[in-house]
Amino acid sequence: MYLPSAAAKQEINAAVSEVVRLLDPDVVHIRYDIGRDWSGDQAIFFRVLLSDEASRTRLRDVTTQVVWRLAERLDFPSMGLFPYHNFRNVSEQDVLREEAWA
Amino acid sequence: MPFPDDLLDQAYDLAHKEPTDPKQASLRRAVSTAYYALFHLLIDEAVSKWAVERQRSILARTFEHGKMKAICDDVLKTVKSGGSVLPELNTVAHNFIQLQQHRHAADYDNSRQWSRTDVLNVLALATDAITAWRAIRMQDAAQDYLLQLFLPRLPKQ
Repeated sequence: MYLPSAAAKQEINAAVSEVVRLLDPDVVHIRYDIGRDWSGDQAIFFRVLLSDEASRTRLRDVTTQVVWRLAERLDFPSMGLFPYHNFRNVSEQDVLREEAWA
Repeated sequence: MPFPDDLLDQAYDLAHKEPTDPKQASLRRAVSTAYYALFHLLIDEAVSKWAVERQRSILARTFEHGKMKAICDDVLKTVKSGGSVLPELNTVAHNFIQLQQHRHAADYDNSRQWSRTDVLNVLALATDAITAWRAIRMQDAAQDYLLQLFLPRLPKQ
């Protein structure tokens, strides 16, 4: 399994923080894990928590912004990672209460 | 209405089936159905080129998810390296890979909880990919892509 170097993690964390800041208040936070996708390829799985308003009134616009702004800042192919994204809003997380999304 | 459109409609129906407290079963089936809408669209397009109609369903069963992913990945790599790719084809390839992973999680990962927001985003990926495909389906690049889905690793011209 791919284990990102400290520098790579720092780069990912910095990009994530920047995207969250840029898309505030629509994006509340972004969590991620690195692992393998269904076919065994290395992947990074982003979990993006959105505000209720953003998810209800402009979901496609916000999700597209998140995907492309992360891709602008992180060269996933050279990292050997394929990015996947999942989204939920604050109210949904309040109900589902998953630690990985907190 | 073509079968892929029926599947996509069904995916949206499932996503909205329970107005306030969506069941995981409805959300999971919506995700899986959205993937198959795009999957069948591409396969139907590819096998429709085959002249002997009664053989098309046999041909359709030879398409493999893994090979299709690899061809989509090639498209994305071409874009990343500055190669010329129709933006719509990039959308199809990108969204196909995303949908495939989501479908796998929806069908096999029972530890995973889905939200309606997540599912509606997945359905939008399928909708965008289908729209993009229909905008370019008659172009040479789209036809070459279909051929590669069927005969992966075709030498580049």
